[in-house]
Amino acid sequence: MASDASPWPVPADAPAPDDLSRCVHCGLCVNACPTYAVTGLEAESPRGRIHLARAVDEGRIELTAAVQGHWDLCLQCRACEAVCPSGVPYGRIMEHVRAQVAADPPSGGRARAIRRFVLRNVIARPAVLALAVAPARWYAGSPVRAIVRRLGLAARLGRIGALEAQLPRHPGRPVRPGTRLAKPHTVTGRAVLFTGCVMGELFGGVHRATARVLARGGIAATAAPGQACCGALQAHDGDLAFARVLARRNIDALEGDDTTIVVNSAGCGAAMKEYGDLLKDDEAYAARAVAFATRVRDFAEFAATLPATAARLGARVTYQDPCHLAHAQHIRHEPRALLGRITGCEVVETAGGDMCCGAAGIYSLTQPQMSASLRARKAEQFRQHHPDIVVTANPGCQMQYEAAVREAGIEARVLHLAELIDEAQRNAR
Amino acid sequence: MTTRRELVARLSALVGPENVVYRAEDLIVYEFDGTIEKKLPHAVVFPLGAEQVAAVIRLCNTLGLPVTPRGAGTGLSGGSVPTRRGVVIGTSRMRRILEIDVENRLAVVEPGLPNIQLSEAAAAHGLFYAPDPSSQKACTIGGNVAENAGGPHCLALGVTTNHVLGVEVVTAAGEITWLGGRVPDAFGYDLRGAFIGSEGTLGIATRIVCRLLPLPATVITLLAIFDTVEQASTTVSAIIAAGMVPAAMEMMDRMTLQAAEAGLQCGYPADAGAVLLLELDGIDEVIATQAARARAECFERGASEVRTASTPAERELLWKGRKGAIGSLGRIAPNYYILDGVVPRSRLVEVMGRVSEISERYGLKCANVFHAGDGNLHPLLLFDERVPGATANVLEAGEEMMRACVDAGGSLTGEHGVGFEKQRFMPWLYSETDIENMSRIRRVFGNEGDFNPCKLLPAGTGCGETAHHAAAVRAAGPDAYV
Repeated sequence: MASDASPWPVPADAPAPDDLSRCVHCGLCVNACPTYAVTGLEAESPRGRIHLARAVDEGRIELTAAVQGHWDLCLQCRACEAVCPSGVPYGRIMEHVRAQVAADPPSGGRARAIRRFVLRNVIARPAVLALAVAPARWYAGSPVRAIVRRLGLAARLGRIGALEAQLPRHPGRPVRPGTRLAKPHTVTGRAVLFTGCVMGELFGGVHRATARVLARGGIAATAAPGQACCGALQAHDGDLAFARVLARRNIDALEGDDTTIVVNSAGCGAAMKEYGDLLKDDEAYAARAVAFATRVRDFAEFAATLPATAARLGARVTYQDPCHLAHAQHIRHEPRALLGRITGCEVVETAGGDMCCGAAGIYSLTQPQMSASLRARKAEQFRQHHPDIVVTANPGCQMQYEAAVREAGIEARVLHLAELIDEAQRNAR
Repeated sequence: MTTRRELVARLSALVGPENVVYRAEDLIVYEFDGTIEKKLPHAVVFPLGAEQVAAVIRLCNTLGLPVTPRGAGTGLSGGSVPTRRGVVIGTSRMRRILEIDVENRLAVVEPGLPNIQLSEAAAAHGLFYAPDPSSQKACTIGGNVAENAGGPHCLALGVTTNHVLGVEVVTAAGEITWLGGRVPDAFGYDLRGAFIGSEGTLGIATRIVCRLLPLPATVITLLAIFDTVEQASTTVSAIIAAGMVPAAMEMMDRMTLQAAEAGLQCGYPADAGAVLLLELDGIDEVIATQAARARAECFERGASEVRTASTPAERELLWKGRKGAIGSLGRIAPNYYILDGVVPRSRLVEVMGRVSEISERYGLKCANVFHAGDGNLHPLLLFDERVPGATANVLEAGEEMMRACVDAGGSLTGEHGVGFEKQRFMPWLYSETDIENMSRIRRVFGNEGDFNPCKLLPAGTGCGETAHHAAAVRAAGPDAYV
């Protein structure tokens, strides 16, 4: 395949027949799938979706609106991939079926075009994104919000109201490429902090907490200039061409030495660890992408290797696995180990703690109904276990848990793992 | 004759339109189970409760349409493939645990409940449900009842029929009845026993009373590594001859080990010829002594190493490989054909030799997983169905292997069921009278031939023809005649 010199052509890269034929339809995945758990329908299971892709590939069925609907309902949480004994690269298959759909969508073409435009021209353009997010950031921390909530205005605003419920309570000042971050007293190592798109704009507080925790471990983290959006949202949407553009931009900006790239958004980290796969047909970048990917570490993965710092926090905490940390990056142990180091922190596991919350990138906007069903499952667990703090490690999940906590009617705070550790370390000083 | 549109309307009236699937592209995902058989149904329905199941069955009987029950579609004998099309009744929306009675150590569940979820829920009370098929994360209790499912731990504890006290059943005639109950040893004919393992040919279980057992105090899992399958096999016999009844005794050959290790990173030695996975459970002192003896037996018969897993995490890792072993073969080939033969333990080595001779003759890669303690072997023939003639070649080799098991005094199935694929072999083991008696039992439950047709008993004509998939899909428009 030619290297995508222009960011604009739409690739028709359908899933590779070899990827599809790996599935032996043993069915071990079906109960790991959130949409199967909710619907009980084979077509809403990983095995079903792969079978549909195969049937389309073999020309047995047309790619109809119904087929597209089954693929669109997939959260791309990759819980199935984690339990698949055959190693079916399901995440990759879904990205490619969506690329295939995008080439000639049987339905919802206009919405798809708008989405693609926004993902390319708002999310991936820092200046535009900053402008777009500014009002939300102002509103999230302002007294107006309390009034809106008291009057129940948000409930009348449909999707905007749903977004309102998801906004973080304390967004903090943005952290962008080039922003100065906390420095350690004695520097024992260096790292690049990946700033991301929405993460940097709406969760600047998480980035600052991340830098402080790393600094206490002797690591000087910098928000290196030139870095771009990771491309995960675009790839999940089937816009692989533009995801490749962004991947190349990040490689150009951050390569040169072997400094660890710390990512505190599970979705970004998973995507960046797979740059090698994304750019495997790009002669100029294939090897560089593989080298880049080996430098990427999730925050928890990296923090667990640092010398322990005293930390204390008397609270009942539940950790909810972000899908792209547990399933895509296989990181389940480290976040819990880090919580275990905090004196006074009581960790409670909930049923389905590693099942998708329904945030799934932009899924809560594209599939509000299924997203709400999954959120309700989390809310029910929160009602049962009454945590003081819900902790996770991905901005989308964090936003969904803000809404879930509200839905559960409990007074829990929602924090990123880095924020919780930072707070506990400050308590212990 | 009825059109598909009428059929869908009538089914929708019974169970609600949201519980009926009928579009061609939605039906195509119900054409298969865990095997290589495929056939498209005309419609799939998801009734909620016995009343709705009964109504659907009666409607199909009136219309003369075949009915095929389906759980999670993980079966390994084609049992839930709608061989003569018609209506598939799915249980995936009946998946509640209705009751856990701790004092009487039983649970009442709906048929679509995934097997593992019962043990997970019971664990809070220190109890578990013993049958543990390798697919237990996905397969349903209802499907387990139909197939009388086994699992690695059935060596000491017995199979599904030993752990199900009663079932509420909708018969093939559409009548609701209870077989067995909440207490063991119901008097009268053991219809519960006849129903369990009937492979969905007598009716559909809509509520199941499961026996729960207390979790064992101590569990020790051993992984013994051998150079050859022969060494491992003789060890199995030696351990049983020594008077031990391990909770489980599983064997995997080299190809299986390599695939499982590649797929699941469970710490298996990829260069070994075979491993034995041995589990002992019970009271501390007894188990420690037994484990020492088992280790000695392994070394005496040539084991190069015996590893011991004592923490739950280590155990889980060893079992993860075994339970995912079959699926992990997808790394080697896109399709597998899994056999399920039983032979007397004493003839395991000899039959294994026959199996490898047959697979070589047919030019097939063959991996082996065994419930060695039961003499239950699972040769897995690897192939690619897209290669013309490959499927036929595999089926022929499989038939020879089954013949070898039967010739050695064994049987056709240990736990996967006869289903569609082995019904034609039934006459190898049963006389005409035997088979006629079994088909009379079907009729007692109201099955005149259309309830899960072409399964379990040799059905004569009309079932064996292979599906012309493309034509079937094309004919599946909304107004096609059903």
